[in-house]
Amino acid sequence: MVLLATIIPFIAGFPQPIHISKESRDLYDWVENIPDGSTILLTFDYYPSTIAEVEPMSRAAIKQCWRKNLKLITLSTVPLGGPNIAERVLNDMATGWAVEEFGEEKKYGIDFINLGYKPDYKAVILGMGDSFRRIYPTDFAGVSLDSFPIMRDIDRYEDVEFLFIISDNGIVDEWITIANRQFGIPIGSGVTAVMAPKFYSYLQSRQMVGLLGGMKGASEYENLVGAEGMATLFMGPQSTVHLIIILFILVGNAAYFIGGRKP
Amino acid sequence: MNQTFLEMTVAGFLILSIFSFLYKDNPFYRLAEHIFAGLTAGYYVGLIWQTVIVQQLYVPMTQEGKWEMVFPGIMGILMFTRFFDRLSHISRISLAFVMGNTAGIFLVQQLHGLILPQTQATIINPLSGNWLFGIIPGGLVIIVGVITTLVYFYFSKEQKGLFGKTARVGIVFIMISFGAHFGYTVMARLSLLIGQVKFVTVDWLGLFNLN
Repeated sequence: MVLLATIIPFIAGFPQPIHISKESRDLYDWVENIPDGSTILLTFDYYPSTIAEVEPMSRAAIKQCWRKNLKLITLSTVPLGGPNIAERVLNDMATGWAVEEFGEEKKYGIDFINLGYKPDYKAVILGMGDSFRRIYPTDFAGVSLDSFPIMRDIDRYEDVEFLFIISDNGIVDEWITIANRQFGIPIGSGVTAVMAPKFYSYLQSRQMVGLLGGMKGASEYENLVGAEGMATLFMGPQSTVHLIIILFILVGNAAYFIGGRKP
Repeated sequence: MNQTFLEMTVAGFLILSIFSFLYKDNPFYRLAEHIFAGLTAGYYVGLIWQTVIVQQLYVPMTQEGKWEMVFPGIMGILMFTRFFDRLSHISRISLAFVMGNTAGIFLVQQLHGLILPQTQATIINPLSGNWLFGIIPGGLVIIVGVITTLVYFYFSKEQKGLFGKTARVGIVFIMISFGAHFGYTVMARLSLLIGQVKFVTVDWLGLFNLN
């Protein structure tokens, strides 16, 4: 039944109204207020299993950033998926979406760069406050960072305007407690739904400027960016299955009480 | 049959093999599980070799003359002495270095990055803002929630009387928190299912187009 509820909205279409939450809008507004042409860090801290939920956030983030001509330094603190997903998404959008939108490709090494993965995330996050080059002497392909124009005058957190974390694991805590608190870089994040409740406390303490929570957050962000994509589409099946689960809970409880509360 | 379709067929087969566990444990599931574990280990070894051993140890030493890197290199090699009973105690040197380093970083990180700012965010002026949208939802709820939840987790005194009633209010806050977590967790797990269903039905089998 859940499977059918997932597939049928795909076929029939089941568009959902998207209401924008404050935390999504705050994140969008923060990025909008970054001076055009600045450089930001964008992380791909997620594994392939969660791309349905978080890849739409990455794509929407890239669209918003490139419309503002922001330069993107991407990296990953997870070994499997992250660096390769970054490579695939960036190349796809630089040669596809960017051509449709701007009439020309975004260029590797000038408009964006993929630093890839380095193990021991604590050491990576802490070390980047001192020098990006010390942690990432080369990009993901092994080419020296000094050979890329985008890395000219960029070597530590204070040289970039913003840290946009897209993640499916607890690494966000490390970015916030080290990069934000010890080095002062503003942080916004997009996370999987299972993680989202925890990070509201960082909004309360203003250690994070905004938050995208799960597919719902991704669909809100897509709408804010004006680029409805997979997350917006996936909210149809998502809502349908939620309705079925609610129905099951009601029926189960009704049966329990009508049946004299016998287990 | 082009290469992309072949790759997608392999991926689709492995997805269905994993889902077959919903019926019961079977050889297809175990095959997919072993392939996943093997590929992950192999890929990880290759990645570490390239990004750490080559890029951050071998190249700096041989091409940039940073021979001081030999010390962390030796520390890394000492870790492998754990495989030999007579030499395994030597690995404690490296482990002690890692643990000391981590403890130092962790202490500052937790205190400066978590405890202080989170405590600061809780210490608010309960009478700031307007009553309807500021004080009641923003201030009093946080203050009452934090205090009653802490009371619930105070086990050195029997929870009865006023103390017990306060703890019960704490349970309400805890349950609301669990409910929010559970709702988000359901959404996250469904997202995984939706992603896989979309891959199998749309990307791989092409049963229909997404509008």
